[in-house]
Amino acid sequence: MKRMFPSWPVYVLAACLVSVATGVVLAQGSEVVIESTRTAYRKTDILLNEFDVLSGGENAVAGSDLVAAVLGNDLQLSGLFRIGTSGASSDSFAFEFTIEGRVEGPLMDAEVSGEQPPLTVSLDLLTYPGRQLLLGKRYRPGPDQLRITAHHFANEVLAMVTGQEGICLTRIAFSRGTGDRRDLYVVDYDGQGLLRVTANRTLNLCPDWAPDNGQIAFTSYHRGQQGLYSLDTATGKVRLIIAQKGLNLGADWSPDGQELLISLSQTGNPEVYRIDPAGAVVKRLTVSPAIEVSPAWSPGGHDVVFTSDRTGTPQLYIMDKDGSGRRRLTFEGQYNDSAAWSPRGDRLAYATRIGNLIHLVLIKPTGEDRRVITDQGWGNCEDPSWAPDARHLVFASDRSGVFKLYVYDVVEESFRQLTYGDDPDITPAWSY
Amino acid sequence: MKRMQQKGMWVLALLAVVLVAAAGCSKKHEVNTEPPVPVETTPAEVIPAPTTPEAETTPDANAIDYKALEPQEYGVHDVFFAFDKYDLDDQALATLADDARILKDAGVMILISGHCDERGTVEYNLALGEKRARAVRDYLVSLGVPAGKMLITSYGENKPFAQGHNEQAWAQNRRAHFETP
Repeated sequence: MKRMFPSWPVYVLAACLVSVATGVVLAQGSEVVIESTRTAYRKTDILLNEFDVLSGGENAVAGSDLVAAVLGNDLQLSGLFRIGTSGASSDSFAFEFTIEGRVEGPLMDAEVSGEQPPLTVSLDLLTYPGRQLLLGKRYRPGPDQLRITAHHFANEVLAMVTGQEGICLTRIAFSRGTGDRRDLYVVDYDGQGLLRVTANRTLNLCPDWAPDNGQIAFTSYHRGQQGLYSLDTATGKVRLIIAQKGLNLGADWSPDGQELLISLSQTGNPEVYRIDPAGAVVKRLTVSPAIEVSPAWSPGGHDVVFTSDRTGTPQLYIMDKDGSGRRRLTFEGQYNDSAAWSPRGDRLAYATRIGNLIHLVLIKPTGEDRRVITDQGWGNCEDPSWAPDARHLVFASDRSGVFKLYVYDVVEESFRQLTYGDDPDITPAWSY
Repeated sequence: MKRMQQKGMWVLALLAVVLVAAAGCSKKHEVNTEPPVPVETTPAEVIPAPTTPEAETTPDANAIDYKALEPQEYGVHDVFFAFDKYDLDDQALATLADDARILKDAGVMILISGHCDERGTVEYNLALGEKRARAVRDYLVSLGVPAGKMLITSYGENKPFAQGHNEQAWAQNRRAHFETP
């Protein structure tokens, strides 16, 4: 394969990253309970103060505006906050409330200074109105690192609030193009920073991130024959993992990064295997004359969900990772496929066909609580992939006439569009 | 069946006498009820125009250069499948009986690619396409075509032959397609 990959952006914050204060429990702000059709959940009010530009003129003002916009968007996309302001309006961000009438809550404040990059960006999380410091960070971002700076601080804030790392620095890999000319792309979780990562004039599909995000496994074609390849995300180099005759399809990295699940068909039928990252078969998991595809690990790496048409229609099954203990998960519908196990393990997302359309479904691993989450208006919805927060999932929908990527928030039951443009975007995979 | 055989002979005769494959190709598509196969390079580009009479440069002037043609150009026809199925129906079996005879004569390597309509997921359709290609290969093997002369692959729903979103287009796209690798 031709190596024509752009150099990979490296998420390293320039120079000093000073933690001023940590370890203080975040004071809960006033809480709003929003009734949804199924869930009652709370959002924390958080105030985003007008950032102080200490010096540096236009350059620092533009940097300050960008950091504020990205940070505010991150907090909003988390689904955990209502974002308010102390009264300042912003062109780059739509606030959900102003501080008037509210007397307490966390406050985000910032100071930005610098004539030329790197600017100095100090980001603080304070109590309000007491202005006691909860979290303070100082960054020296280079010219292209302002977005990362904001994402990084948003992750810190989310970690403080939820005790779980935020997804603000995650990305989504996917396949874009038409016919047998589709390349892999990567986009930030907020839809920014689109980057093409293959350019080999063939069909590149079904990316999957290694748990350390250091590699993306994907299926590609060489002279008409499928192979599983790995893209090194630091260097852009591609290596062949395995290319047996027939299918080398739909790899899923194990949670410990030591193995991948894959569908191979050299024996005559698509069967599920475990292979190591060098391409050696560890174990064959299925034996049947039927189609067995789309394997995916449970988050603990003990179980495997996969699709089989052994009953005559594609249905989902769960088995132990040694291939034993197979049990059928889906009984409703004639076409159930593309299962993705939530990182929390409490449910799976998959695709089901209703009429001529593919819809997305959530279900518990026990087969209970089956819930269709997309309707006719969403057209065909395929290939769900979970974010590491177990709250968001990305999928492809052709609701606009062409497949584009969308993100679903399973708590708020809300959708947002992630990618735009005329070319179809398919088989998304969320990073770790 | 007879019509197809005649067409194959017609192309063969044209090649032997005139050796302008491009003319044969375009005329063939006029009489063919199937949609044109999206071949990336036309035979006219692949076959160099002979600068001297063919008989002087090649010992066997009547030999067909199968490797330079797509299988459809020497009479091999694609087969079609029912929705979500990969078994061969009677029509497919009849088509493959003809295909097998021609392929045994040709003796060249061919690639059988499996295709699906757009209803279904990307990954499952790739597996379904593979089952279709393999069903065709296995049947051709049973009819005496050497297994070593056939490669199979699957493009799932990625290379549709017809672009519509209706049964007419879907039926065209559920196929096993023969190509020269």
